[in-house]
Amino acid sequence: MLLLQNARIASENSPTLLEGDVLIVEGKIQDVGNNLAIPEGARVIDARGRILMPAMFDAHVHFRAPGFENKETITTGSEAAINGGVTGVVMMPNTRPAIDSAAVVATVLESAERKSRIPVYTSGCVTKDRQGKELAEIDGMRALGVKMLTDDGDTTSDPAVLLRAMQYATEFGMFFASHCEVPELAGPRSLNEGVMSYRLGIKGSPACAEEIIIDRDIRLARAAGAHIHIQHVSSKLGMETIRWWKSRGDVKVTAEVAPHHLLFTDEHIGDYDTNYKMNPPLRTQADCDALLEGLKEGVFDLIATDHAPHTPFEKAQDFISAPNGITGLETALVSLYHFFVRPGKFGWDLVVKRYSAEPRRLMGLPVPTIEVGQPADCVLFDTEAETTFTKEFMKSKSQNTPFINQTLNGRVDMVILGTEILLER
Amino acid sequence: MARKDLLDIASLHREEIEFLLDQSTSFKQVFTCSVKKVPALEGKSVLMLFYEPSTRTHTSFEVAAKRLSAEVTNFNVAHSSVTKGESIRETVETLQAMRTDYIVVRHSRSGLPGMIARQTKASVINAGDGAHAHPTQALLDAFTIKEKFPDPRGKKVLIIGDILHSRVARSTSNLLQKLGVEVAYLGPGSLVPKYGPETIRRFTDYDAAMAWAPDVVYLLRVQMERQDVQFFPSLREYHRLYGITTERLEEIRQRGLYIMHPGPVNRGVELCDAVMDYERSLINNQVENGIAVRMAVLDWLTPGGESPRSEPTFGRSAAPLPHFTA
Repeated sequence: MLLLQNARIASENSPTLLEGDVLIVEGKIQDVGNNLAIPEGARVIDARGRILMPAMFDAHVHFRAPGFENKETITTGSEAAINGGVTGVVMMPNTRPAIDSAAVVATVLESAERKSRIPVYTSGCVTKDRQGKELAEIDGMRALGVKMLTDDGDTTSDPAVLLRAMQYATEFGMFFASHCEVPELAGPRSLNEGVMSYRLGIKGSPACAEEIIIDRDIRLARAAGAHIHIQHVSSKLGMETIRWWKSRGDVKVTAEVAPHHLLFTDEHIGDYDTNYKMNPPLRTQADCDALLEGLKEGVFDLIATDHAPHTPFEKAQDFISAPNGITGLETALVSLYHFFVRPGKFGWDLVVKRYSAEPRRLMGLPVPTIEVGQPADCVLFDTEAETTFTKEFMKSKSQNTPFINQTLNGRVDMVILGTEILLER
Repeated sequence: MARKDLLDIASLHREEIEFLLDQSTSFKQVFTCSVKKVPALEGKSVLMLFYEPSTRTHTSFEVAAKRLSAEVTNFNVAHSSVTKGESIRETVETLQAMRTDYIVVRHSRSGLPGMIARQTKASVINAGDGAHAHPTQALLDAFTIKEKFPDPRGKKVLIIGDILHSRVARSTSNLLQKLGVEVAYLGPGSLVPKYGPETIRRFTDYDAAMAWAPDVVYLLRVQMERQDVQFFPSLREYHRLYGITTERLEEIRQRGLYIMHPGPVNRGVELCDAVMDYERSLINNQVENGIAVRMAVLDWLTPGGESPRSEPTFGRSAAPLPHFTA
């Protein structure tokens, strides 16, 4: 039994924070109100000034298992999630072997059941081994609960293959998530084509490489009557393309944006800092501004981190050789607070809606709220405290993030899931 | 302030450039002596780490180091552990253990010399990294131009060719602009990026570029090996549109323009054979001056310190950080 007193309660439906007490009994919210009586045996937590909100859900993470456990495991990845205030994730299938069959899905989910303290869901591949040629064994994966199909990390290049997959799998109630990139245009370098790519002498990846596929895949989804989810949009025109398609209303489109694409530009790469190397690449300030606008407007349904761990050895290579990706699970909520909520660019309601509620809706999962009768699935966040992202602080096996050794305002103080307190600082 | 490394032109101050060019003049005088050697780097070791084939830059550095009395070791990449899969980092750690004083490095990856510099106490000189920088080439180009125009301010240099893949274009244009020289690029639209510096004029038409009235025409080597897709239809068409043809050489001769090229020359592509005999071709001057400039650079750097950019710092670049003021 847990009584959180005088918390400021956030919800997706109101920019106003309600102040009150929350009583959690046997993993459920039993009461919400002012000056609640302290039940006998209850642990009382003074939450004055702190934000209590539904816990986050990340619909785009790479836990690297099976196959790349030197970068991340389900155990370390899920602990990183908890460390960042996240109580549910969807893994991407670019593992080795790729998650493209019922057998691999079963292995991953069984492993997650044993090794993770939070629910771990997985997406499945559109095509076998993500090769873009033959359809993966879709129904077998569906039977084990897979809802999202994606060849993430790569675009399903052949539009005919993707269209067939959409026509087939939509009948099973599945949806498609697209990593959008024309490989022939993008090249392997993951640096935005522009002033910075010229300065650094690295051939850049133009934003149109992404925008073409955003448009292509939405058109294919429209033709197939499928639900398409556009992953990690990085460009202004990409956002505007999605906005236009959504305004037509004749195709089901959802989209996500990653915190790093809101926060950083290609200028941050500076002296070839591989902690800023990701795919799609960081673009310009105008793109960042447009993405923020898209998030506030609801063009982006959800925030997802694309948590992509890599070992220090891999990231210590030169910029061209280093792999794409940065970790995000542990820094997302604090950085969203520090850079957006605290300066008043958006409110807690947007954070809850886009990083907690909508990702769960995308996955067809119940959406937790801080209301009587709801299961306890929440985060207590201290806006006055700070977080320093040291190696010791991080639970992820990898620390490839621009935030390493940096201090930001805000701290995840407590993560509660059902009857368990998963994290307490 | 003493510098440990020379990695690019962008980080060089104008005073440092002037100093190096002045020193190069002094070192060039050594060439006229019967003993072309000074003891400046006696007892020091210079390691040549060339991951890309190079004749003139490699030889130029080697001669420069030897004329300063340094010991020169050539790291033979073809016969090294690199071919067995050893990483650059491991290689540099091994070389560090050998306590070399200077590492001259050329690599196809942009930024790699900087990465090596952060891992070693030796002075690292970038002898060309990808399409990023070639600082000693820029210095020797500037030195060569200054020999003809002692005060180069206001002079115009037209750089022709594959700007997209050229570290020479980036470094030389950067340095010349620091000296007050006007720079313009000319080449196919596919090889002259639209997002280059705004201070550099961009031409895709030869006649329009010549109407800009350059004092020096700087031809870049067409580097077919760097082009992963086709950027222009044929070498013949390139020569016709952007090369110095026999007819164009006549016009250049009449206008008294100087011609430069970093070498090696693709004859019949960037220029016709007759250019090599043109009295205002500075191509051989560039080669000779390269040795003097590299002597000045080796003499100027101070091995032993840490690279100032050894630790990545959040938002350390010069980028404006509007979101970071919260």
